[in-house]
Amino acid sequence: MSTSHRSGESPGFFAFAREHTFVTIFGIVMPLAVFAVFVGYPILFTIYLSLFEWNGMTPDKTFVGLENYRHMIGDSHFQIALINNFKWLAVTLAFPVLAGLLIAYALRNKILPAPALVRTIIFFPVTMSLISVGLMFLLILNPLFGAFDTILRSVGLGFLVTEWFGNYKVAIYTLAIVSGWAFTGMPMIFYYAGLGDVPKETFDAARIEGAGHWRMLTKVAVPQLRPVTAVVVMLTLFESLRAFDLVAVMTKGAPFGYTNVLGYIVYLESFWNTRFGYGAAISVAILAVSALMALIILKKLMKGAFDV
Amino acid sequence: MSDTLILAHRRDVFRFTARFLGYTLLAVLLAVWSGPIVLVLITSIKSNQDFLAGPFSIPSHPTFQPYIDVWNSLGFSGLLANSFLYATAGSALAVILALVPAFALSRMEVPGKTFIFGLILTGLMLPQQTVLIPLYDTLRTLHLLDTKIGLIIVHAAYGMPAQILILRGFMTSIPREIEKAAYVEGATDFRVFYKIILPLSLPGIVVGFTLNFIAIWKEFVFGLVLLNSEENFPVTVGMLKLNSDRYMAVFNLPAAGLVISQIPIIVLFILTYRKIASGNFAGAVKG
Repeated sequence: MSTSHRSGESPGFFAFAREHTFVTIFGIVMPLAVFAVFVGYPILFTIYLSLFEWNGMTPDKTFVGLENYRHMIGDSHFQIALINNFKWLAVTLAFPVLAGLLIAYALRNKILPAPALVRTIIFFPVTMSLISVGLMFLLILNPLFGAFDTILRSVGLGFLVTEWFGNYKVAIYTLAIVSGWAFTGMPMIFYYAGLGDVPKETFDAARIEGAGHWRMLTKVAVPQLRPVTAVVVMLTLFESLRAFDLVAVMTKGAPFGYTNVLGYIVYLESFWNTRFGYGAAISVAILAVSALMALIILKKLMKGAFDV
Repeated sequence: MSDTLILAHRRDVFRFTARFLGYTLLAVLLAVWSGPIVLVLITSIKSNQDFLAGPFSIPSHPTFQPYIDVWNSLGFSGLLANSFLYATAGSALAVILALVPAFALSRMEVPGKTFIFGLILTGLMLPQQTVLIPLYDTLRTLHLLDTKIGLIIVHAAYGMPAQILILRGFMTSIPREIEKAAYVEGATDFRVFYKIILPLSLPGIVVGFTLNFIAIWKEFVFGLVLLNSEENFPVTVGMLKLNSDRYMAVFNLPAAGLVISQIPIIVLFILTYRKIASGNFAGAVKG
């Protein structure tokens, strides 16, 4: 286990660096430095800070050990936010990912007329800021002047109408579905590109054997799209962990914290309640959850998706 | 004879059903994805009286007054200028930072390639909220908190990983014969990069820059936490005010506001849509 023997990289690296100085400096050292300053150090500092009590202003921090974590586990706001993140993830996997796959399939198999138009209108919301999207759906879902309730009532589904943001059981799903509306273009494009890579003969063979669209989709397309699905699920996971903007513009966690998500709690605890140590502990929880889920996805789905 | 007729007839029925289903599906997709946008556009040109006639009423006196009002009261000229600065400078820096790393990772046997690639992915996937506190702290130490330059640096740093992936995807597809010939003639890495790879990567640079521009234009969390003064706010942070009793009394103002916020992206979208939506960047991730 001597250093020179272990990887074969250390001597290789220096030989490479001598031969390719320009590439080493700007292609390896520089991005690694950026990484160290903006990713590595912040993560370590957050973990360190999670063991302290700190108001963020004065230089003195009080060491409290694992107290922040103990508090976190019993904190009902944290629990609700954690569960909300998972609800958000479930909605995002069920609605935009599935819809994106189906739409991409329909586009590739010429089921839909005007494919260019469909791609454009569904991809367009991806380019909107979630602040704009949130404001837009505040208008659409407004209980007094909103279009959505008017539509529901006019087609005889008025009994479904509720306070989309006020009903504590419904509000988090409202937010997640709005985020799904804005996100569908992403999986659609990935699946559309992925389906383009599937050899045409594969589909033709299935069609000759008399497979209908359902069988073609489930037995041919989905297995072939496995690597794309891995990337899409990864994106979805991190999109749902990022759920922040919509909460900030639409509900600010109301009613009673029932639409809080982890990211928003970090913000509230740190920058409003000035409990930076506690905010850092929740950040560590987010990191742990995301790393764990990323590992699971890597193990289960990722074979070959990120091959270098 | 009659058999073929029946078959032909059945095929017609089938075709008709398929087409009917296709159009139904199209109608649903249009209603769900462009319906809200169309409603907002209509609302944004309504007068107050027209607004009270209901969400689906056709404006009897279309007016641009809501645009003028919201532009002035929210200070959109400043917000748009800021967002434009952040998106342009941040994306340009991110692309510049990413060029040589993408060159190295796509065309050279860099030792520790997999490790570097793993780090890039980590940077890409890192949830922003987890680094807010250290970033806030670092920028304060450097006296860059609540400054435009501070936010630009942050955007550039977090834009870099995605740019490396995108540019690497493009550079991988450039044939190797050209540079081999150059190396045989004794060209340095820098010359190959600057004279051959860089010009050929221009389409990739355009796509990467555009995607990064849109990402920064959409970005909200960093702006919210790292800025305090309204004169530094990007559009997203400035627009937060629209969700208040003052603006939400009549919907034409917030509707006009969010149309304004999207216009620069629509222009960019029209200019570069083909390149972006062709799925090239999906390919970049797969490599």
